[in-house]
Amino acid sequence: MDILGWINQAITEGTIPFLIRQTLIYAVPLMIVALAGVFSERSGVINLALEGIMIFGAFVGVLFVRSVQQWGWFEAAYKAKDWMTLQSFSLLTMAVTAALGALFAMLLAFAAINLRADQTIGGTALNLMAPALVLFLIRILANQNTLQMATGDSASWFMLKESYFGFGVGRGVNKTPSMGFLGQVFVNKVYPMTYVCILIFIVLAIILYKTKFGLRLRACGENPQAADSLGINVFKMRYAGVGISGALAGMGGFVYAMTTANCTSNGDVAGFGFLALAVMIFGNWKPGNIAGAALLFGLFKCVAASYGSLDINGDGIYMLKEIGVSAHVYRLMPYVITLVVLAFTSKSSRAPKAEGIPYDKSTR
Amino acid sequence: MKKFLAMLLAMVMMLGCVAFAETVNPDDIPDTVTAEDGKYEIAFVTDVGQLKDKSFNQGTWNGVKLYATANGLTYKYYQPANGDQATDDDRYDAMKAACEGGAKVVVCAGFMQGTALAKAAAEYTDVKFVFIDGWQLGLANVAPIAFAEEQSGYLAGYAVVKEGFTKLGFSGGGGGTNPACIRYGYGFAQGANAAAAEMGVNVELKYSWQYGASFSASAELQTMISGWYETGTEIVFACGGSMFSSIVAAASANDACVVGVDVDQSYESETVVTSALKGLSSATAWAIGKYYAGEWETVGDVATSLGANNDAVGLPTDTWSLTAWTVDEYNALLAAIKDGTVTIDSTVLENDGVVNVEFSNLKVIYE
Repeated sequence: MDILGWINQAITEGTIPFLIRQTLIYAVPLMIVALAGVFSERSGVINLALEGIMIFGAFVGVLFVRSVQQWGWFEAAYKAKDWMTLQSFSLLTMAVTAALGALFAMLLAFAAINLRADQTIGGTALNLMAPALVLFLIRILANQNTLQMATGDSASWFMLKESYFGFGVGRGVNKTPSMGFLGQVFVNKVYPMTYVCILIFIVLAIILYKTKFGLRLRACGENPQAADSLGINVFKMRYAGVGISGALAGMGGFVYAMTTANCTSNGDVAGFGFLALAVMIFGNWKPGNIAGAALLFGLFKCVAASYGSLDINGDGIYMLKEIGVSAHVYRLMPYVITLVVLAFTSKSSRAPKAEGIPYDKSTR
Repeated sequence: MKKFLAMLLAMVMMLGCVAFAETVNPDDIPDTVTAEDGKYEIAFVTDVGQLKDKSFNQGTWNGVKLYATANGLTYKYYQPANGDQATDDDRYDAMKAACEGGAKVVVCAGFMQGTALAKAAAEYTDVKFVFIDGWQLGLANVAPIAFAEEQSGYLAGYAVVKEGFTKLGFSGGGGGTNPACIRYGYGFAQGANAAAAEMGVNVELKYSWQYGASFSASAELQTMISGWYETGTEIVFACGGSMFSSIVAAASANDACVVGVDVDQSYESETVVTSALKGLSSATAWAIGKYYAGEWETVGDVATSLGANNDAVGLPTDTWSLTAWTVDEYNALLAAIKDGTVTIDSTVLENDGVVNVEFSNLKVIYE
């Protein structure tokens, strides 16, 4: 078969759109939470509490969605399939989780900046506290271990479908044409919050490198004494760094719960917070590398779960399944790859110099 | 004669419970009551998964609540520590707590409770234990109650193929070792094959025990099922407690369908076409009632298996959504199962056992 024909068949018949969508679903929470780590560490505060803040953010988000559903605010929009209004609901929830995530991270900031406590211990404390607190509250609220949406599921409330735009509606011969390759990849069955996260990621990466604020923040993580001597308030900068970090991690936790856990919270985000820490180190504290690392990890995670349904060139043969490798091998891959790449890149890895050291004016 | 009377009484009581269930919504009964003397007569020890899993645990718990409130008794639930990773010690501790808490009847849900139950029941001989999905432990104070899940699965499989689905999926919990889930799955395959043979069509069934070994929802399960739907699967039998949530999320994203399990799950999602039922709630209430009626010896250490003949398995006819296959046709099939015209193999085929079964019109793709 010629190459063009192969590509054409892959585009029309293959499962590439599915693979891309699912990869993004795993990669985006990782990406945004790893960036959360970058903001905190670049300002000089080690944030081990990413996992805890994610768990807290997921809980706050699910609770907010559930409460709003119970108050009936978006009931009419849901019934009318008014997806624009429903998307504003999801944006609102993201904002709420970001705000409360930042608030939760202030506990770490206060301990690390004002009290000059050991940041590793402070972060660990939050990691221990978050699941306990969340489970305690869920028990009180719902009398069980999992908090769910009040009605419906995440996909019918918050996912975009091609049918909203008149594509692929109906059955059999009356079915309108589907959206085509690009539509399948970027519009159909996609949570728009994925794109919001990518947008936030890009904007914040630019802020970190191209603005005065970003430069000052990074200075506080490299040499706070020098920054202070130039009139930069190191405390304020570090508060800002941890605050942004908390906002991103809280939001990331909610996005994780929404896109991979059907909008449920159970005091667990499957270790994504720690994975994000690994991705951050993997990506050498640089946003571009982080995005790449998250995508790589997400791709392998997606392949591990769906290897039996992957048919890239659309010939009806599920190659990864046919070659008869055990499912466990596929499930190991994301972690093995992470370890291998870390082993090869850690030599050139360069952490912010002043991270983990509480700033003391008298040491200037 | 005595036995016949006992049977008759059992039937009447069960019918009574069924009729009762229609008038009171168990969700309206509070999950916790406060006893003045701090003693709770009827206790419930949960299986892995959660109390409110909208499936197995919840169905059993509803039976406890319905019986207790109807008879003015106190009740309490005990969840073994460590959630999905609960050990036999955790389960034993929960049962012990129930017995120390004044329980006269302890309902234990799930076959995994066997070891802990044998220990607790031997120790607290005055307390009666109802062992849902259980088997005889050789202890007179344990009443094992099993269900003919294969009949329920058969009906569901038959129904969806008659409805016109040809690409099916089965995602079971318990990692391929839970007898109840295995019977559901094998029955589902047999029913689908029978309907396909009658209609002269060929049907495909993806069959998996991956993910959900502890019956919990997961991102990976959601991705795997999304992949199935993406590559043509039309309907998936979600056979296991909280896994339902992941499978429904995948189905909703792909505008596809789901078969629920244990209780009528059509209230949970529009994607649910039908559910393979077992009468957990009524059977639980029935067994507790045996104790209070002074007839414990009729169930204690007697292997009770409830099937179509006891009206303990089936599909929900109140929320019937199938159009190509009607309730009348369903009742006819149910009657055929009852009188033995339709026979269903109830062998427990662990892990990939179903792959080795020859089906005339069904291709099983094991994943």
